[in-house]
Amino acid sequence: MSYWRAAGLNYVTYSNIAAKIVRRVLKPELQANAIKRDETHVKFTPWIKGKPSKPGQ
Amino acid sequence: MMMISNSTKLVCLKGAALQQPNRSMATLKQIQMRLKSVTNIQKITQSMKMVSAAKYARAERELRQARPYGDGVKAFFEKSGAAEAPADNNNGKVIVAITSDRGLCGAVHTNVSKAIRNELSTELPDTVQTQVFCVGDKSRALLQRLYSKNIAVVANEVGRKPPTFLDASKVANELVQLNFGSGKIVYNKFKSVVSYKTEEVPLLSAKTMLAAPKLQSYDSIDEGVIESYQEFTIASLIYYAMKQSACSEQSSRMTAMDNASKNAGEMISKLTLTFNRTRQAVITRELIEIISGAAALE
Repeated sequence: MSYWRAAGLNYVTYSNIAAKIVRRVLKPELQANAIKRDETHVKFTPWIKGKPSKPGQ
Repeated sequence: MMMISNSTKLVCLKGAALQQPNRSMATLKQIQMRLKSVTNIQKITQSMKMVSAAKYARAERELRQARPYGDGVKAFFEKSGAAEAPADNNNGKVIVAITSDRGLCGAVHTNVSKAIRNELSTELPDTVQTQVFCVGDKSRALLQRLYSKNIAVVANEVGRKPPTFLDASKVANELVQLNFGSGKIVYNKFKSVVSYKTEEVPLLSAKTMLAAPKLQSYDSIDEGVIESYQEFTIASLIYYAMKQSACSEQSSRMTAMDNASKNAGEMISKLTLTFNRTRQAVITRELIEIISGAAALE
């Protein structure tokens, strides 16, 4: 078992953290573009029994 | 829809103008107003077309880079025989609908929802066997009337900006929490500027992957690798599907807006003709009134 899995991460989260670090250490001219790929806007609403429930409830 | 109702109104207008030539003053004003609004609509659709053309160019460029994500996973499913392996039926099924929040783009969202609806309609009523993960408000809006009980999670704020891998991984993380045994993603595959096809890719659980008959053709695979790879396949398949669907959506919006502008142009020319004819009729009538009035005085 890898150390990151032992820490409770899955592969996707782990590789996203790695990608974030790589973006941060890029040369400035490359970083400007790469940093744009570092944002996300998606929002989630779980549905229970056919009704949306507020996130966090 | 709007175009249809507009053209029927146009027919009514014409009919009114023919029946009551004395009331043509009012119709003249009405036609003028219609003409103005149709011209404004045409301006809007034209600029929407320009915007989506620019967005399409970007989406298409980005799609080229995203293709290997999906193709690689698909190739693995095929070569390892995982697609034919017995599905893990212990846990539920899940269907991911890849759409976006935005409309006015032809039938892209409807096609995805229709495919899912067909799938869900084969299920027994009052039982929830398949969970639906809606990416984008449009699929939610189209599915919630009949299958709101099947909807497990809705993701919105999709489609304003091009999807990133981070978006896809967030969706994947939410999806994993549903604990599904098997599933699939329904999306629109981009074929060319004028065509797309609604397709689906399977989502496999780690168990199914391990049970793949030809897994031996891959080297140094153990459970840990498969587990990591399975997590990655979900994220990358979603990324691939999101990119494909974003590209199809923009291209479809381009075509839809182009058609709308063309229809508006047609309506404008018809309305202008009616407008000119009515105006001529009004002028003629006034002339007749004046002349016959003058003749009566002599």
